[in-house]
Amino acid sequence: MNVIGLGLAALGCGIGLGLIGYGAMQGMARQPEAINRLQVAMLIALAFVELVFLLTVFVGAPGLKG
Amino acid sequence: MFAAAEGEAERTVEVGFLGTAVYIVVVLALLFLLLSFAKKGLNTRVFKNYWTSRFEQLYLFIEGMCVNVIGAHGRRYVPMIITFWLVIFFGNVVALFAPFSPTASLSFNLGLALTSIAYVQWEGMKANGIIGHFSHFAGPKLGGLMALVISPVIFCIEVVSELMKNVSLSLRLYGNIHGGHEAVEKMNALGHSIYVPFGEFLLPIKLLTVVVQAMIFTLLTCVYLSLVTAHHSEDDHHHETDSPHGAEGVAVPA
Repeated sequence: MNVIGLGLAALGCGIGLGLIGYGAMQGMARQPEAINRLQVAMLIALAFVELVFLLTVFVGAPGLKG
Repeated sequence: MFAAAEGEAERTVEVGFLGTAVYIVVVLALLFLLLSFAKKGLNTRVFKNYWTSRFEQLYLFIEGMCVNVIGAHGRRYVPMIITFWLVIFFGNVVALFAPFSPTASLSFNLGLALTSIAYVQWEGMKANGIIGHFSHFAGPKLGGLMALVISPVIFCIEVVSELMKNVSLSLRLYGNIHGGHEAVEKMNALGHSIYVPFGEFLLPIKLLTVVVQAMIFTLLTCVYLSLVTAHHSEDDHHHETDSPHGAEGVAVPA
């Protein structure tokens, strides 16, 4: 059951990262002159989505051993 | 690296405090070696030394990031930011090739995050004064009864959020670097029966992580600095609406 939960967490994180990448790519393609600003905002957003998954791993993964 | 494949299921690298100190010394020695190469090429005209020009590129990159995120007064914080960048970057580079590294230990990362947040608070106090900095926590100025009811609540939430910044900064770095090591060991165990170290195919992704994690740590430090020193720039009272800098518009939780 824990494995399924961790997989679901990874799925959600993947969807979130994909959405961020999608939005940033589209913005960069439409406005190439704003690439620097978009990259900064994109990296910050990526960091926060990633952190949620890392927290899930730290809470959930120790339960996998037992 | 191949420890996980020796029959027992879970075995991560445990080095203890002394081992961590040894790895920190390795990272710092690497850093001082390269910086001493770079220092030899310093002059007042053109940098022709290889390492000097590389570090100059790095300096320009970090300076551009600071000025982009913090604003025109961001140049003041470049020394601290570039120190964070170099320590984290070289720690991550060591993590690429060694089974352990300072940035793969939670204690070292927590120390880095505590230093970073303490520096942010210090700069906030220097920019706004001690009273101004702590009243900044209490949110917007409210009048009458609302000031008594709402402001203490906002103050408590802001203090908790400042403390959680330490946790988030350190856990992010630790999770990425340590998680990379774990993934490599698991994939090595996968190919153990046919003697193929599958984990080494993760090296390109880890190479990306090295730069991105160093950048994210320093970028977030810059964003926190821009939040606490926002009063300092020319617009004095309406810094939260229509700010000219790109990253200040990004919502920053925890």
